[in-house]
Amino acid sequence: MKAREAVEVLAQHRGDAVAVCALGMAANEWWGATHSEDSFYMHGAMGFAASFALGLAISLPRANVWLINADGSLCMNLGCLLTEASQQARNLKHFVIDNQVYQTVGALPMVNQGRTDYAAIARGAGFAHARTIDNLEDLKQQMPAIAAEDGPTFTVLRVTAEVGFLRTPPMTYEGPEMKYRFGRAMEKKFDITVFGPQGY
Amino acid sequence: MASMDVNAGLHEQLTKCGITLAASLPDDWVAPLIQRIEGDNAIRHVPVAREAEAIAICSGAFFGGVRSVALMGATGLLTCTGELATLNLRHAIPVFLIVSQRGTIDDQRIYQEVQGRRTKPLLDMFDFPYHVVERPEDIGCIPDCYETSRLQKRPFVLFLARQLMKGDVR
Repeated sequence: MKAREAVEVLAQHRGDAVAVCALGMAANEWWGATHSEDSFYMHGAMGFAASFALGLAISLPRANVWLINADGSLCMNLGCLLTEASQQARNLKHFVIDNQVYQTVGALPMVNQGRTDYAAIARGAGFAHARTIDNLEDLKQQMPAIAAEDGPTFTVLRVTAEVGFLRTPPMTYEGPEMKYRFGRAMEKKFDITVFGPQGY
Repeated sequence: MASMDVNAGLHEQLTKCGITLAASLPDDWVAPLIQRIEGDNAIRHVPVAREAEAIAICSGAFFGGVRSVALMGATGLLTCTGELATLNLRHAIPVFLIVSQRGTIDDQRIYQEVQGRRTKPLLDMFDFPYHVVERPEDIGCIPDCYETSRLQKRPFVLFLARQLMKGDVR
């Protein structure tokens, strides 16, 4: 399956979940599939979307938080799995788009390409629910149960590496605007205060 | 060794800030404060495997409407500069850090000397504000430091000086 096909299946089962997306391919594909403002699209801190999502999930237990991670980002911070497992956030689901390449920079191969079992690493870190899905039919069949189960869960979506630069365009706003759009979306969706009375 | 009163005072000030989440990776100066926080049911404590995780956890918590602090040693702060720049500076997300001020002239440790010489210039370069608490009577500045982080929408580093945390112990 292709990354966009997998992401579209996730989006169909998203329900009311808030998403946090790793920078690059994951963020661009999620934006392309959802155009959602109750999603945070990382522009930097590669590897730390997982930590951002964990902070959001434990701060707001009534929110369902989906992390749309990617293999390159995960490998930059595998320790995040230990921290996630330790916190046992029932409202957090971790998805990894595993295309085995650094797609955004021209599909150069991932470190240890093809030999890494990320789900096994997650199980070793303490995730009770970790699996790899490598075709669209299985993903469609399993996704209702995955969306319904308690977190923390870890699901690797093994997708085909696509040759060359992926031209999926990024979201059409950036940096501070993203902060305010996402923060205001969170305030509206959960009736919380993110920004103070003077707007910061 | 810092007196019980210093760590109790720091803890009290964090509570005054409205902080209900702390993410930490200890060095020996901040470890007693982290242990106090661990025992406080009003603050959720998240031990992390790398200091930049604490930065991103606090950044995510911001969007959940939760006030937070990242606690670490000076060396840990240096490891976070990329994330502080590309997450917090990039998106203008405030984050409040409490960090041991290692490598000062009263901290004669060879493995801290670079931190002592280069950390403040690095923060100056990024235009990240910081403040050093040197004496127990200055601990009351912490809520103002926290609010400055919010107002300036960027990382704020509160350094804990050696005299404050270790007294005359060498």
